[in-house]
Amino acid sequence: MLLEVRDLHVEFRTRDGVVHAVNGVTCEVDAGETLAVLGESGSGKSVTAQAVMGILDTPPGRIGGGQVLFRGTDLLTLKEEERRRIRGAEMAMIFQDALSALNPVMTVGDQLGEMFVVHRGMSRKAARAKAVELMDRVRIPAAGQRVGDYPHQFSGGMRQRIMIAMALALEPALIIADEPTTALDVTVQAQVMDLLAELQHEYGMGLVLITHDLGVVADVADRIAVMYAGRIVESAPVHDIYKAPAHPYTRGLLDSIPRLDRKGRELYAIKGLPPNLLAVPPGCAFHPRCPLARDVCRTDVPPPYEVSGTRTSACHFWKECLDGRAGS
Amino acid sequence: MAEPTKLAKDDEPQDDATPNVSEVETVEAASEEEAVAALDAHVERGEPILQVRNLVKHFPLTQGILFKKQIGAVKAVDGISFDLYQGETLGIVGESGCGKSTVAKLLMNLEQATAGEIFYKGQDITRLSGRALKAVRRNIQMVFQDPYTSLNPRMTVGDIIGEPFDIHPEVAPKGDRRRKVQELLDVVGLNPEYVNRYPHQFSGGQRQRIGIARGLALNPEIIICDEPVSALDVSVQAQVINLMERLQDEFNLSYVFIAHDLSIVRHISDRVGVMYLGKMAEIGTDTQIYDHPTHPYTQALLSAVPVPDPDAREGRERIILTGDVPSPANPPSGCRFRTRCWKAQDKCAEEVPLLAVPERFQGTDSPAAHESACHFAEEKDVVHAA
Repeated sequence: MLLEVRDLHVEFRTRDGVVHAVNGVTCEVDAGETLAVLGESGSGKSVTAQAVMGILDTPPGRIGGGQVLFRGTDLLTLKEEERRRIRGAEMAMIFQDALSALNPVMTVGDQLGEMFVVHRGMSRKAARAKAVELMDRVRIPAAGQRVGDYPHQFSGGMRQRIMIAMALALEPALIIADEPTTALDVTVQAQVMDLLAELQHEYGMGLVLITHDLGVVADVADRIAVMYAGRIVESAPVHDIYKAPAHPYTRGLLDSIPRLDRKGRELYAIKGLPPNLLAVPPGCAFHPRCPLARDVCRTDVPPPYEVSGTRTSACHFWKECLDGRAGS
Repeated sequence: MAEPTKLAKDDEPQDDATPNVSEVETVEAASEEEAVAALDAHVERGEPILQVRNLVKHFPLTQGILFKKQIGAVKAVDGISFDLYQGETLGIVGESGCGKSTVAKLLMNLEQATAGEIFYKGQDITRLSGRALKAVRRNIQMVFQDPYTSLNPRMTVGDIIGEPFDIHPEVAPKGDRRRKVQELLDVVGLNPEYVNRYPHQFSGGQRQRIGIARGLALNPEIIICDEPVSALDVSVQAQVINLMERLQDEFNLSYVFIAHDLSIVRHISDRVGVMYLGKMAEIGTDTQIYDHPTHPYTQALLSAVPVPDPDAREGRERIILTGDVPSPANPPSGCRFRTRCWKAQDKCAEEVPLLAVPERFQGTDSPAAHESACHFAEEKDVVHAA
């Protein structure tokens, strides 16, 4: 297994109290596989990614427990210098907002080349040639002329390509993409997702795709992990989850999106609001919004029940949900 | 005081291909009431509540500090026409930079149009000012995209929703305002006791409800919604969409719904217009646009939308456009989409395609018979899996 996250806990100390952002996340990704981590804002999906990459701001953040096994080594026990050698070379990250993730006062060529200078000890000249090659790989037109341009001189889609090029530079085994296309227009999003899928296939990389877009997930993912209030509530192969969700939250999400291919009736709306992470409801965090909630949900945290060999659901009543008794 | 009122006479049967406001004539109304009555009569005849004709907005590009000299213009909106009927929702979709938000500002009269007309019940509002403008604005309100920046953080919810009454005191007399505000909170599904709270005490979805309550305060007829749900999470988005649909039925509102999310626009709209680089590419009912698009840009746009159904992954045809949207300061000649279009020929560079029902579909009752600005318009279903 390429990456295994086991019972990861992350908390933030704030003025108002301790925010439990990630409360025991367990998931795994293999080489060549795409895992989509789906969740709304505040569900802990980005914090999980940052903890795995080792770029969490500490303080205020703190890893409360768990393991992040990368090719069998627990990254959380490594020294910072050792992690640094892995970060970028073995696992890389693509951020949502390319304009703020790129350095505005460095040319894109220098930023791409820096990867080779720092990790591979190349000369600046050789690194620049590599940068042009990479820009060609991600299909930036006239790469040779644009290598000296600054990030602001590129369009949004082109900047995201540069981010992808930077992540791919050292041919890592794992890429974590945090909302890579959320800031892009739909036609550009299609270009960028196509490119990412193609490159993943070519290099056989593992891909963790963090997103809130159920459409993008259906297009590219092999497996899905749905997060809610810092926990994975459902984990399943992509076809299973869209056919019959085994958690009421997943069902609610799928029912609440309008369809492009037909005019629907009134949308199903999950009642209430996402939880406040300073005071996560006891028992199942979703119970105040859940149509299936009963007494046991208010007291007992549901463990990840095994639905089949390949899927789990953290719902006491997953069987009922699978039968379609939650939702609209 | 007599207000000169421009009235549009549009007695001819509506021709779908070339909807135009003919013979604009000036009528002197004896009193304001009479002017209002004349306006209402316009809608009672089944005519559009809002008619937009050849609307243009160019933002000048200048050079020099002391002696500014215009060196060009960003053609944000470049000749747009559409109608809005009472009680309907017109969706406007397009990618960033296509001018859809500028259209919203022009409809609100927050930007001065460079050319063209906007007829509200037959009265051109682009040249209005002072009292006449104020009277029209009461009936056209707006809901903004970002519920975090569109509410003043130092005002209570009661003050925010009640502020429109300061400008239009005739709607709610001073002593009645608190009750009115609480009523509005109730209408949008918020607890009326929250009237003294501040915006930061609410979640994104609740803030958007506050924004909607403010938009409703003056009992408007038209609400311009500029990306009203794009900042919200999926589960909250559905709540706000359902609320907007309920309010529309309850108050017979007309919406201009501007968004980039094509699925949401289909859900809420009766008719949809697709914009590209300051021009309307195609306009029609939701079925015509989504199931029978004839403009290549609409087809590409629709085919690029990821559908939440993994089984559709293989079956759907994807049209992946090359390149980026050209700069609106220097748009391509002829058809603006030609630089990214797979059908482009010499004619497309020379002749600007007009927004009209394509000749081959004229007179037929085919769903492809709707206005499309393409020389080579052709029906193609890209949404449904083969």
